[in-house]
Amino acid sequence: MKKIIGLLIIFAVAVGSVEAQKYITKTGKVRFFSDAPLEKVEAVNNQVNAVLDVASGDMVFKVLIKSFVFEKALMQEHFNENYMESDKFPVSTFTGKVTNISGMDFSKDMKYTAEVEGTLTIHGVSRPVKTQGTLESKNGKIEGKSVFTVNVKDYDIKIPSAVVKNIAETIEITVDVVLEKLSK
Amino acid sequence: MNKLLKTFLVVFILGLLAGIAGYVFVYNKPHTDYARAKPELIVDARQCFDEFVNNRSQAEQKYNGKIVQLTGALTRIESNDSLSVIVFVFNEGIFGDEGIRCTLLPGYKVNSLNLKPGDRIEVKGLLTGYNETDVIMENCSLVKP
Repeated sequence: MKKIIGLLIIFAVAVGSVEAQKYITKTGKVRFFSDAPLEKVEAVNNQVNAVLDVASGDMVFKVLIKSFVFEKALMQEHFNENYMESDKFPVSTFTGKVTNISGMDFSKDMKYTAEVEGTLTIHGVSRPVKTQGTLESKNGKIEGKSVFTVNVKDYDIKIPSAVVKNIAETIEITVDVVLEKLSK
Repeated sequence: MNKLLKTFLVVFILGLLAGIAGYVFVYNKPHTDYARAKPELIVDARQCFDEFVNNRSQAEQKYNGKIVQLTGALTRIESNDSLSVIVFVFNEGIFGDEGIRCTLLPGYKVNSLNLKPGDRIEVKGLLTGYNETDVIMENCSLVKP
């Protein structure tokens, strides 16, 4: 009996320590930017979910497509209805890992270059992504930043020939999250 | 003949101008005024959240992209430099609180500061979806108080 209680305590402590290593945000920012010959298009999403496990390096991002805000209403409409088909594919996700997290110490205020690998799912299409970013620990929080590009064609997003000069083939994605320790 | 040509030219130019004006108008059409827009659905916040948790695809069809007015007890307001978020919490998941998160329109940031946890409020905005932990609303305004 004592052995079982002992094991349960060890299990509870282990689960607790794993949870304590998770950092989350629900107000992450993802911006995309298209620089085409005829037009520059920018949209921002301020309610991005992100989780980082600082022990394993595992990270997950969840981005609601309809939460992207554009300067022009017409662009927002076309983005949702014609290109991203957000009724059919409402969420984009990134599931991956910071592969060099073992060399990082988040108990001190430090900035690290993070190597990130994972799978990005946009418009129902999942593709491997490898990029770099920074992770900076400051006042108990971790600020994660990254800029990378995606090719529209890779995600089966069809741009009609009439607007082909209005939307770039390569879109720049900027990620900016301030992650806080998950407290339970 | 000259008269016919003249009429044709006038009609052509007027048509062209109308076309350009129409294009400019559509291209620059303003965003929906979410604070003034009539809600398409009025629902209890808890019920709305439960519908997403219990049958996500059905709830997505019903709510996503719609102007929804929610009634519920405020859990808290999260504010930073750029936005204020009304939060209703209904569940505790492995990644913390789960519920409905409503980003307020910039004009409502100040109003939101007078609210206290537990206050019954009515929030209206564009429901953009469910990310497996929270239902998200954007462009929100406070209907009550």
